[in-house]
Amino acid sequence: MNDRFVIPGRLKNMSRAFISIGVLTLIMGIIFFLTKNNNIDKTRFWAVLLQDSVFFTMITAVSIFIQAAANLAHGSWIVAYRRVPEAIGANVWVFGTIASVILLIIVFVFRVGPEHVNPIYEWVTPGNDKILNGKSAFLNQGMYLGFTLVTVALWSYFGRKFRSMSIAQQSAPKNDTKIFWKVFRLSGLFLLVYALTQMSTAPWLWIMSIQAHWYSTLFSWYTFASSFVSGMSLILLWVVYLKNQGNLELVTKEHMHDLGKFMFAFSIFWTYLWFSQYMLIWYANIPDETVYFKLRQQGPYSIIFYSNFIINFFMPILILMARPSKRNYFTVTFMAMIIIFGHWLDFYQMIMPGPLGSDWQIGFYEIGIFIGFAGVLIYCVSKTLAKTNLIPENNLFLKETMIHIS
Amino acid sequence: MHIKYESFIREPLVEGNKDYHQVSEDIVAPIEGKPGRMWYVGFFFSIILLCFGIFSVSWSVYWGLGTWGVNRTIGWGWDITNFVWWIGIGHAGTLISAILLLFRQGWRTGVNRAAEAMTIFAVMCAGQFPIWHMGRVWDGFFVLPYPNTRGPLWPNFDSPLLWDVFAISTYFTVSLLFWYSGLIPDFALIRDRAKTKLRKMLYGVASFGWTGTAKNWQRQEALALVLAGLSTPLVLSVHTIVSFDFATSVIPGWHTTIFPPYFVAGAVFSGFAMVNTLLVLTRKILHLEEYITIGHLEAMNKIIVLTGSIVGVAYLTELFIAWYSQSWGEMAAFQWRILGPYWWSYWAMMTCNVVSPQLFWVKKLRRNVPFTFVMSIVVNIGMWFERFVIIVTSTYRDWIPGSWSYYSPQWTEVGFYLGTFGLFFTCYFLFAKYFPVIAISEIKFVLKTSGRNFKEKMNHIEEMSAESFYHIAEASHHDDHDDTHGDDTHGTHDTHHKEEKTLVDSIMHPFNDEHLIEGATVVEHLLSPIVETKTETIEEVSHEVKQEEVITVAPIVTPVEEIPVVEAKEGTTETNFVVETDDTKVEEIKESTDEVVVKETTVDGGAEDRDLPSNSPIVDNTLPTTDTEKKGDDIAD
Repeated sequence: MNDRFVIPGRLKNMSRAFISIGVLTLIMGIIFFLTKNNNIDKTRFWAVLLQDSVFFTMITAVSIFIQAAANLAHGSWIVAYRRVPEAIGANVWVFGTIASVILLIIVFVFRVGPEHVNPIYEWVTPGNDKILNGKSAFLNQGMYLGFTLVTVALWSYFGRKFRSMSIAQQSAPKNDTKIFWKVFRLSGLFLLVYALTQMSTAPWLWIMSIQAHWYSTLFSWYTFASSFVSGMSLILLWVVYLKNQGNLELVTKEHMHDLGKFMFAFSIFWTYLWFSQYMLIWYANIPDETVYFKLRQQGPYSIIFYSNFIINFFMPILILMARPSKRNYFTVTFMAMIIIFGHWLDFYQMIMPGPLGSDWQIGFYEIGIFIGFAGVLIYCVSKTLAKTNLIPENNLFLKETMIHIS
Repeated sequence: MHIKYESFIREPLVEGNKDYHQVSEDIVAPIEGKPGRMWYVGFFFSIILLCFGIFSVSWSVYWGLGTWGVNRTIGWGWDITNFVWWIGIGHAGTLISAILLLFRQGWRTGVNRAAEAMTIFAVMCAGQFPIWHMGRVWDGFFVLPYPNTRGPLWPNFDSPLLWDVFAISTYFTVSLLFWYSGLIPDFALIRDRAKTKLRKMLYGVASFGWTGTAKNWQRQEALALVLAGLSTPLVLSVHTIVSFDFATSVIPGWHTTIFPPYFVAGAVFSGFAMVNTLLVLTRKILHLEEYITIGHLEAMNKIIVLTGSIVGVAYLTELFIAWYSQSWGEMAAFQWRILGPYWWSYWAMMTCNVVSPQLFWVKKLRRNVPFTFVMSIVVNIGMWFERFVIIVTSTYRDWIPGSWSYYSPQWTEVGFYLGTFGLFFTCYFLFAKYFPVIAISEIKFVLKTSGRNFKEKMNHIEEMSAESFYHIAEASHHDDHDDTHGDDTHGTHDTHHKEEKTLVDSIMHPFNDEHLIEGATVVEHLLSPIVETKTETIEEVSHEVKQEEVITVAPIVTPVEEIPVVEAKEGTTETNFVVETDDTKVEEIKESTDEVVVKETTVDGGAEDRDLPSNSPIVDNTLPTTDTEKKGDDIAD
């Protein structure tokens, strides 16, 4: 069975246009923000780049995670479209590299004001702050550099490895299980890596340390949930797109239903973690902890705080609850876009209140940079998708996925 | 018609050479036979423990909670530790029955019944602790929010302790319903096989008059899905609220945001350990190794290593953030926890919960039965210590050094704990004797895709090219799904027509071997893989159908050769067929077979393994089609 994806001219042009918009925005950002002698503008320039690069790295890394999880659980439901998460996962290195460059510039180079302080990561220039100095064994530039590079390197490796192994299976002898079990072991290993990066250290360093005084044990799991649900939505968008192009013949509504269920269930899971974190901090009412939500809920970010909750909880639960809506291409596509936007907003409100305070705005720069990243994603993933047969021939679950019932 | 196929890479879920009848025989055997000596010995000890527990509790109530070791600094001791421990154990049942059902994990069928029973018994045990911890237990009604004569005094709705009352009672109710609704068809099976009047009557009452009609099944499956939907949030909510008992406070070591999900993971962890403990014994004693296979144990061990590692990440996160917070209260709490006088409990927890389960990364150990058993106990000890560590070592070094204290349990508390073991195992022994410990109807549901003898016959599918298989799947798909497929697929039907015919034949009839269904005839040869039906009634039913002339048999599997498919769920003495006509009109023809019951009590309620007469009217294509194996949601369509 052969199913090749030929990148349509329109998609190619669109991705190029998006990338151009992104580059243009970046140049405008440099002109309008970076060269100005205004600390807020400079901070905004970097913080937005940080938000988008981390967001895209994390949501693309979800594709590696879901492959590993499905490999370990012997999931056949994903096989019909597994080239999609493979292609996204194989491009994590692109976003990882961009993110590393941005993060390291922020940590090592970016300083403002006469005192040369780092307005995004306070702990880089802690001064006499007793608490920040106490944390310096973890919050220091060396640790940051090490964890960032190791995380990105490992994710990039696994993302590419899973894809190449899956393609190797295509030319392996029929029903050969050697690669299958090798991937199985690698998947176990990846979960370990993922637990020590996405589920713990990476969000601590990249995001939580922005408000370096504040802490929450749940924070990394919360960030994971946010990334996971948007990562699954991203996979869905690609599947729908390919389906519309006449590819992915094996994908039926049963498979779409599965992805819909993932978006539905993990939106609620995200809400569960959101609620756990919020409610416990609210209930105990310890000033060290409530400072985080005070700024977001009662301060200048309240609009984002509430939209976050409405978009990411009320919309999915109400719209995706019914079975027919999860089997309707329009509804799931619409919801996938909403969810990705919602969690982009979630990342926004995790990152911005610390450095920007009340001076936040979502203007041409925020939107332009997001479009730029989306352009890179479309460009890279479509290129990877076009390289191989979209049907994972010789996959041991290929026949099961053909008769899959959601 | 759905093609019965699964990849060879999956292990069979049912070992040995089984058909439906054999499944019933094997699982019902312990109920119909006399229990062995081990059962009596075990039951006796459980009763003794239960009595000792009742004595200890009575003693505590009579003399007051002063007989316990808890004091003003350490207000919660073994009581709440045991409460959380039992509640945690109760989680595996719901996880298996609800979440694994939603995830379509076939292996749950072998273990769900016992796990759900365990859930219910564990929750019963857990409930004892808060009740008797009230001290003045006769004031217990106070937790119930009803219009009262106490003036403005209402239960404190702000308190997580009260949320517990609601969460756990809801959880118990839903779990019980879930468990019981699954038991009904199996009870009916036992009723129909019963040889004594008493058994017939009791199981008859218990089965709520189940007759095995398509309508019965449809309702039962719809109920299962609804309850699964309800239980899924419950899996999370119950232990989340238990964790709130601690985390809403401001006590360092208790107040931390990771508690809710981490308690849930820990609960699943300990629950699966307990399921392993019970099932390793049960499968051995009741000779159910072919249904609770090594593969089942391995799957549960995988969940144990997964949840154990999640819990491990949570422990380390807590520890790290305690330092990261640079809050001296947090740091001190963890210092006292790890290095204080209770150091041994922390390290026991770490070793049992985080370090030792990592051994399950090794496949050989996951599949080793004695090792699994030992580990399951180790994990449960570890999880007990986790709760002990959280409760006691967070409180024993108070804010004021003058109130620092140490706690050891008194005999009453130990007796109470042992008593709950008595309660738990008394219930479990009774369950194992009188209830089918494996869900018979659910095993039958997966048998033909996952039974070893059936899987062995799938080799020719494995050798087939993916493309040919796809055409067959498509062909069978078109008949019962209205999903639209690309035009391409329609085109290929014609070109591959002839080739497909033989493929379709071979794929739909892979299982027609003689020793499964004896005395195969030509008719059977065509139908045997997919037909289980009642000999006696076929003629009449199809006769009736013909008279009414409502039937246009829907094309079943193949567009080439229309073979009618008949499937009737076995397990009852009443035969029913749903006739699906083209315009999806559903007609039910009921056949009350009271006389047949009498005739059949000596055989098996399910006549699935009986021969088809060669002169059966099946030969002409007028047999009604039933598809009772479809999931409820499909039917609901």
